[in-house]
Amino acid sequence: MAQIFPKGANDFAVFSIVLVKLLAITALVAGFVIYRSPVVSEVGIQKAQPVPFSHHRHVAGNGMDCRYCHSSVEDSYFANIPATETCMGCHSQILTDQPMFDPVHASWESGDPIEWVRIHDVPDFVYFNHSIHIAKGVGCETCHGRVDEMRLTYKVHNMTMQWCLDCHRAPEKYLRPQDEVYTMGYTPTDPDTGEAISQLALGRRLVEEYDIKVGQLTNCTVCHR
Amino acid sequence: MSDDKTTIQAESTATPPMDLDAVRARLAQEGGRRYWRSLDELTRNPEFDKVLEREFPRGASAMPEDGPSRRSFVKLMGASMALAGLTACGRQPTEYIYPFDRAPEHEIPGMPSYYATAVTLSGVASAVVAQKHEGRPTKLEGNPKHPVSRGKTSLFTQAEILGLYDPDRSHHMLRRGRPGTWEQFQAEIGEMLPEFEHTRGDGLYILSGSTTSPTMIDRMTTLRSKFTGAQWYRYEPVTRDAVYEAATLAFGRPMETHHRFDVADVVVSFDADFLCSGPHALRNARSWAERRRVLGNENLSLNRLYALESTPTLTGSVADHKYPLRPSQVEGLVRIVASRLGIGVAANESQTFEFVTPEVIDAIVADLEANRGKSIVIAGEEQTASTQALVHAINAVLGNNGQTVVYSNPVEESPGGQMAGLRDLVTDMKAGKVKLLVMLGGNPVYDTPADIAFEEALDQVGLAVHLSLGVDETSNLCHWHLPMAHDLESWGDARAIDGTVSIIQPMIAPLFDGKTPLDIVNVLLGDPGRTPYDTVQEHWRGIYGQEDAEGFERFWRTALADGFVADTALPAREASVDLSFAQALPAYAPSDTFELIFRADPTIYDGRFANNGWLQELPKPLTKTCWDNAVMIGMATSRSTNLGLDEKARVMLEDREALGGVYVLPGQPRNTAVVHLGYGRSRAGRVGDGAGFNVNALRTSDSPWMAAGAELRRTGLHYPIARTEDHFSIEHRRTIDKAASDRKLYREMNVAAFAAHPDYVGHMRHEIPDYVNMYPREAHAWDGHAWGMSIDLNSCTGCGACVVACQAENNIPIVGKDQVMAQRAMHWIRIDRYFTGEDLENPRAVNQPLACVHCEQAPCEVVCPVAATVHSKEGLNEMIYNRCVGTRYCSNNCPYKVRRFNFFHFSKRQYGGPAGIGWPYEKNTLWLARNPNVTVRSRGVMEKCTYCVQRISKARIEAKKDMRPIRDGEIRMACEQACPSDAIVFGDIKEQGTRLWDERHDPRTYAVLGDLNIRPRTTHMARLRNPNPALEPDHAEVEPLPGHEHGHEANGHHEESA
Repeated sequence: MAQIFPKGANDFAVFSIVLVKLLAITALVAGFVIYRSPVVSEVGIQKAQPVPFSHHRHVAGNGMDCRYCHSSVEDSYFANIPATETCMGCHSQILTDQPMFDPVHASWESGDPIEWVRIHDVPDFVYFNHSIHIAKGVGCETCHGRVDEMRLTYKVHNMTMQWCLDCHRAPEKYLRPQDEVYTMGYTPTDPDTGEAISQLALGRRLVEEYDIKVGQLTNCTVCHR
Repeated sequence: MSDDKTTIQAESTATPPMDLDAVRARLAQEGGRRYWRSLDELTRNPEFDKVLEREFPRGASAMPEDGPSRRSFVKLMGASMALAGLTACGRQPTEYIYPFDRAPEHEIPGMPSYYATAVTLSGVASAVVAQKHEGRPTKLEGNPKHPVSRGKTSLFTQAEILGLYDPDRSHHMLRRGRPGTWEQFQAEIGEMLPEFEHTRGDGLYILSGSTTSPTMIDRMTTLRSKFTGAQWYRYEPVTRDAVYEAATLAFGRPMETHHRFDVADVVVSFDADFLCSGPHALRNARSWAERRRVLGNENLSLNRLYALESTPTLTGSVADHKYPLRPSQVEGLVRIVASRLGIGVAANESQTFEFVTPEVIDAIVADLEANRGKSIVIAGEEQTASTQALVHAINAVLGNNGQTVVYSNPVEESPGGQMAGLRDLVTDMKAGKVKLLVMLGGNPVYDTPADIAFEEALDQVGLAVHLSLGVDETSNLCHWHLPMAHDLESWGDARAIDGTVSIIQPMIAPLFDGKTPLDIVNVLLGDPGRTPYDTVQEHWRGIYGQEDAEGFERFWRTALADGFVADTALPAREASVDLSFAQALPAYAPSDTFELIFRADPTIYDGRFANNGWLQELPKPLTKTCWDNAVMIGMATSRSTNLGLDEKARVMLEDREALGGVYVLPGQPRNTAVVHLGYGRSRAGRVGDGAGFNVNALRTSDSPWMAAGAELRRTGLHYPIARTEDHFSIEHRRTIDKAASDRKLYREMNVAAFAAHPDYVGHMRHEIPDYVNMYPREAHAWDGHAWGMSIDLNSCTGCGACVVACQAENNIPIVGKDQVMAQRAMHWIRIDRYFTGEDLENPRAVNQPLACVHCEQAPCEVVCPVAATVHSKEGLNEMIYNRCVGTRYCSNNCPYKVRRFNFFHFSKRQYGGPAGIGWPYEKNTLWLARNPNVTVRSRGVMEKCTYCVQRISKARIEAKKDMRPIRDGEIRMACEQACPSDAIVFGDIKEQGTRLWDERHDPRTYAVLGDLNIRPRTTHMARLRNPNPALEPDHAEVEPLPGHEHGHEANGHHEESA
């Protein structure tokens, strides 16, 4: 019986096997790349908000402290999104005729909340607490980036568990003195002498000083419960 | 899959005839030292072996009947698997943040706030502190400052949160079955008012529950002065008429009796479940436990409790001596004791009792006489007035009055005579005299006794108005149904059982536009605009603020902040007994017919909690049944009537009858059966409908708690009752027989023996002395906190408050009757009940709370393939839900059987209902009840006690912010916080000078299954019994320890635990 397939068909078979494997690997790599890309993590993506609130204007421009609006950040797990009342504290006087404030005025009139789009959103099984991070010298900037330079707010870190653990395993890489927590653009300096020192040297001192039990920070129930 | 399900039921129905004689012989041979969980275990029912053999009973892994078959499930799984990998890659859904428009003062977003208020049961207040998250009350704890609560709560109080958010509460006013409005109601009443004003209220009738509210009483006084002809009746199915009748017999006026168990050395209970039922229970449990929570083996001043009871109760289970007594014999025995103590009452000394021998009576009388002024005799509130009056006389003769027994005025308005009042009301209704009947709460159509035809009479009423939480049996037949505001939504006030007034303040605005009784009374007074808030405040202004507005403001704010008005407890009153009443008591004749005992249900009370899933599913104390009431009979009755478990019996009493499932309760006296109120509701809601049977159809108003001349008949109908007694059994599978006894899971000793051999408890079972460990663990070198718990079996009463508290704190779903029967109940803490003793007709019952014990070398951790259960530095056995893939290996390897697997996303099908019909997944009010700090677990995930890790986290964060260690007592477990007898304590096992340290280093402390070398962090303290030496001459002896008879046996048991 004559051969049905020519000899070159063997090559085709080998080629197809390799191709399928390559495709599978490519798909996996592509999947991972996409998963870690801003498409999924939303890093660097600005979202439309009902009011185009600019942190740049308020922080860099007006020099406002983070806690003026995020008032519960030292006491609660939730940093607080200010009530309409807080906005109206100034904006009943300033820039009152701008149409972009319409949602603020509408909320003030009706009592309905302003519907802000959430930017930083950890999964519901993560019990993140702002207050303890603030108390132990994790700067706002460490997680939220240079908010003072953001016009519309966006995420600068992907906030995966790996990212959290990076600090929970070695907090000395990021800690700063408690009175520098709200500083933007902080560079490590010796709290006593004011001279620039390495982050690690500072961090190790602060871990000691703030009595941070590093071994415990990776216990599951610290975040999940 | 329906086949599988039928198999489960068919297997459990096949109750083979019990070979009781063989069982008796075996028990006798073991000298009554055996501990057994159920009759099935004792009779070696093959079903029981099967349950033990399998981690979950057959079919437990199957889909429910109404779900897809296993085959189609696999198909679906195949399809969903293809997509499963992608779900994790999805972007987080866009979420929104809704800030306040005007932020409330003093509120920190995200942090719970706490307010003091009170909830009422039968009018009596329980002072609570409500935890609120973003304005929703999520948990109630006792008010630590309140003299009665002192931080503790009953299981009813714990479950009020679920009652508040019950989606079956009525959402609308109903006017003759159609939606109505408050304005229409006011108009309709308004039309009738001129006529009432003209006739001075002739034909105006009000029916309410017992009330202690000073404001309400004040308003009713106003109402009755305006409408002198108006009638106000009060009715509670759990009637306390006999209590006040007895006090009237003994003292000439109704009185409330308060017992001080903390100063009593000898307590004799005549059929009183004083620790777990009745309005005094919370306080009784604490003061009784104060004499049981002892340390060391010296100066043990335990009280001694004799329980003589017509049905086994928790009080009996903690008693030092317990004797079953037929209900009609209680009075006979009280008469004998009374006459021995010199009270001139007709007593038949020759009356014989099956268990209470003359020696027992002699011993009790002698013990009482030796402890004059330091003893308490207490009769159940359900006993006849004669019995209770004689008990007052006995206490007086013993000099206990003013010492251990204190009297005060009753806290409730016009106490007693409720049954008679209800009869009068129905007579007037039938005669057509009732033009307007306003029912403020209650459900008389369902819960009036059979001889009062309330339902028929309701037809003759001109206008019937019913205020109730849900549209129930009564609302349905009334012209008007008004949704009632829950206590947590209302302004009001009420007295605790000691008289202390609490102002009830709302924790949330009425969810369904409910009205309070004060609203209705204001409408009747022609003052509909007056709010309950104004009404309450004005009442108190009248008392505290006549001249001084500022002073009143101070009073008002203090009262609200404290949760009670200081110094409003009713003063103790001199109560002298004129003993001559004893001669005039009605003649007493014991019954020798079949007697039926009625009791309030231990979890759903009179039926008002029938739609409360937490209470329905809570295994009832002692009987460990749930979702049903039952005809509970003893072994002897089971034999004589040929009725057994899982069968339906016909209960016949005169011309009335009812059909109910049978539960065989060892210790129930022969020829008696006990049935519980509250079941057989037809319009309770999706949870309560159709559960159990209605015993009000058997009850009569002249003898509401017992009836003679009943008859039980077989029906041949199969009716399985959900029983959890054999569930999650610790007994080792290959050594089922006597396992609980051999392994000494439950340990108890007599006081005298313990005093002489304090180290005996620790050696009952050979513990491994040194820390033998294959894997050196850095956890033990940890210099931080090390959490642990101690449970004192000596003060635990087994009431179940901890179970409900845990359920409320940890978002634990209910699963429904069918799922409970498949051993899928989700409770993280359970109370194991063991029976022990030689006599099957009178075994002792003991209770042992058990949750995850957080083993230092946890067997569950090493078998988890995905490291979803791991150890924390502080010694917690952590369960990580989002890592769990549901292999259930951990549960298999858990020697305590305390892990729970979520088979069907129970939190979504929240209400199973007795028929197992799941609810559609809907965003209903139940979501508001959830604790936001605890994950709502999903299907296919294992869960278990976490040591309330959210509370630990909270305390740790606060402590770390302040740079200090966590203080002892700063973290309290939900179970610990609720426990009425303070039997549970949590803390750092390394911190000296704490209560936990003292308890862990007490000779009574032992580790359940400590011989497995798994180092549980929760330890138990052995129970101490304090028997009367006259009745147990060998009470000070100890048995030789099995391990010490033939050397070390540790190795021998390794094989068992391998």
